[in-house]
Amino acid sequence: MANKPLLATPARALNSDGRIITRLLIALIFTVVVVGVITRFTTGPLNSRFTTFVTIFLGIFIEAVPFLVAGSAVSGLIEVFVGPNSMARFIPRNPFAAAFVGTLLGFTFPVCECGVVPVTRRLYQKGLPLSVGVAFLLAAPVINPIVLLGTYTAFGWGPVLVGRFAFTILIAFIVGLLFTLARPDEVLLPQTADDLQVAPLSEAAHDHAGHDQAGHDHAHHDHERPSVGVVDRFWRALRIGSEDFMDMARYLIIGSMLAAGMQTVVPQTTLLALGSGPLISVLVMMALAFVLSICSTVDAFLALSFVNTFTTGSILSFLVFGPMVDIKSALMFLSVFRRRVVFYLILLPFALSLLIGVFLNLNVW
Amino acid sequence: MVSLRLVKPLLLLLMGVFLFTRVTSGAIYYYINRFIMLTVLAAAGFVLFAYSYLRQYLDDASAADPHHHHDHHHHHAPQTWLGLLIVTLPFLLGWLVPAQPLGAVAIANREINLGAASGLPSLNAPNADEMMGFFTGEPNILDWLNQFQRSNNPAAFDGQEARVIGFVYRDARFGDDQFLVARFTVSCCVADASPVGLLVRWPDALELPADQWVEVHGRFEAAEFNGMAVPVLVAEQVIRTEQPAQPYLYL
Repeated sequence: MANKPLLATPARALNSDGRIITRLLIALIFTVVVVGVITRFTTGPLNSRFTTFVTIFLGIFIEAVPFLVAGSAVSGLIEVFVGPNSMARFIPRNPFAAAFVGTLLGFTFPVCECGVVPVTRRLYQKGLPLSVGVAFLLAAPVINPIVLLGTYTAFGWGPVLVGRFAFTILIAFIVGLLFTLARPDEVLLPQTADDLQVAPLSEAAHDHAGHDQAGHDHAHHDHERPSVGVVDRFWRALRIGSEDFMDMARYLIIGSMLAAGMQTVVPQTTLLALGSGPLISVLVMMALAFVLSICSTVDAFLALSFVNTFTTGSILSFLVFGPMVDIKSALMFLSVFRRRVVFYLILLPFALSLLIGVFLNLNVW
Repeated sequence: MVSLRLVKPLLLLLMGVFLFTRVTSGAIYYYINRFIMLTVLAAAGFVLFAYSYLRQYLDDASAADPHHHHDHHHHHAPQTWLGLLIVTLPFLLGWLVPAQPLGAVAIANREINLGAASGLPSLNAPNADEMMGFFTGEPNILDWLNQFQRSNNPAAFDGQEARVIGFVYRDARFGDDQFLVARFTVSCCVADASPVGLLVRWPDALELPADQWVEVHGRFEAAEFNGMAVPVLVAEQVIRTEQPAQPYLYL
C-alpha cells in the first residue's frame, strides 16, 4: 500500500504521503487560481511575471497535448484490436535480445516522450515484459524516424547524430536489462499490475467499477463475436483512450506547470555561466534538459545554439538524457510505475548519460 | 452528486474548444511555432473523445437495463475530483489571464544574443546562408545578428542602414541613451525561447517603457557594450507600433 497512484486513490486507502501530496496539489491549484484572478484585475510586477509563467505553461502544454491525445488514442486502439498476451509472441525469449528489441520498438510505434507513456502502460497490459517496456519507454522518444530526421537537419551526419542514437540505445538497453530481474508487482502500480493479471481495461479513476466490468465483458464478447461492428469497436477504443488521456493529462499539466515555474524563476544566465569544464558543462546541460522539458522532436535545434559555448560531450548528454527524463515525463511515469521505480528511472539514465558525456569530453574531444 | 460520466466529456469538449479558439484568435502564435495543424487535430480529437463518452452514455441509457444505472451508487473519492480539477487548469488560466507573448520580464533571466563577435567560427543558424540568399523583405533582427556573427567584425557594418521591429528592453547595464530592440526566437514552443536584440542608441531611450513595440530606423556603428564588441544601431527615428501578429522570430 506504500505506493498508490498519485491522484486516483480512494480516500480510505490513502496513506499519509498521499494526503500530503493531495494537500500540496490543492494548495497549488488554489494559489494559481487566486494569483490568476489578481493578475486579471490588477497591474504590477507580479502581473507580468505570472503572465510569463502562464504563457510558458500553456506553450509546453499546447505543444505536448496533441502527442498525448495521439498516444492515448493508440493505447485505446491497442486495447480493442490487439489480443491479450499477443505481445509475448513478438518478443524474443532471450532477455538480451528482448531488451534490444524494446529499444527499437520506437520505429513501430513512433511516439514522443508524452505519447509513449500511455502506449507503454497499455502494452504492459498486453503482456509486454517489464524490461522491454522500460527500454521502449526510454528509447522511443529518440529512436524514431521523426527525431532522426530532426537531429540530422540540425547536426548533419556526424558524431552528434551517431552518438545520440547509439548511446540512447545503449542506455535504454542497460536499464531495460536491469528490469529483467524485477517482478511486475514490485515495479508497476497496482492498477497496472492488476489489470495485467485480471482485467484488460484500466480505469485508474476507480470511478465506476461496475461500468468497467461491463466494458470488460464487452471486450470478451468482441473477441468471441466478430459481428460487433468495427465502428462500435472504434468508438470504444476512443472512449478507453480518452479515459487514458484524463488519467495522464493531470501529470502532464502539473509537470508543465513545474517546468514553467522553473523557467520563470531559475535564471538561465547563472546556469550557463557555471562553466564549460568537462564535468560541469555536462551537468549544466543535463540540468537544462531536465528543467526545460522540451520535445525530443525539436531539442536538436535548441542544442545547436549551445554548440559554440559548450563541450560536445555535454551537447550529446543533453540530447540523450533530455528525451528520456525531464520534469513532465518523470511525472507521467508516476501513472505507470511505483514511486521508487520512477526514482531509478531518473537516476540510472542520469548517471549513465553523465558518465558517457564526461568520458567523451576527457578522452575523445 | 454530478455524474462523472457527464463531467469528463464536458471537460474534454472544453479542452477542444480552448485549443481551437487559441488558433482562431491567433493567440496560438504566442505559444508555439510549427505544428499548428497538430493543435487543430488535437482539438478535433477532443471532440471525438467527448463524443465517444456521450455515445456510451446514450447506449447505456437506451439499454434500459437497471444494472446500468450504477452511477448513483458510487462514492467518488475527493482525489478523483482533484484530478479533474487539474485538467481544468489550462483553460481556466488561459481564459482568466489575458494571452500575452513573452516580453521584457522573460528576458531578465536569459542570455541575450546581441551578435557579439565570438572569436569562433559560428555554427549557429546553419541555414543562415540560405536565408540570406532568399531574402524577399527587409532583414529582421535575427538576420542582422546572423550576419554579424558570420562576419565576426562589428566595424564591417558601419554606416549600413537598417529598419527593424521589436520590443523595448532595458536593464542596469544600459546607459541612459541606450535600449535593446528585442525579439524572442522560438524553434518549437516558448519553452525554448531565447532573446535576441540589437543595441540602439537613442537620446530619448528613457521615455520608452519596457515591452513597448517600436520600429527603429538608423545606421550601424561599431561600439562596445559590457566589454563585448557589437554593432550599435544609431537611431534616426523610433516609432511606437502595435505588436505584430507573430511576435516571435522563428529559427
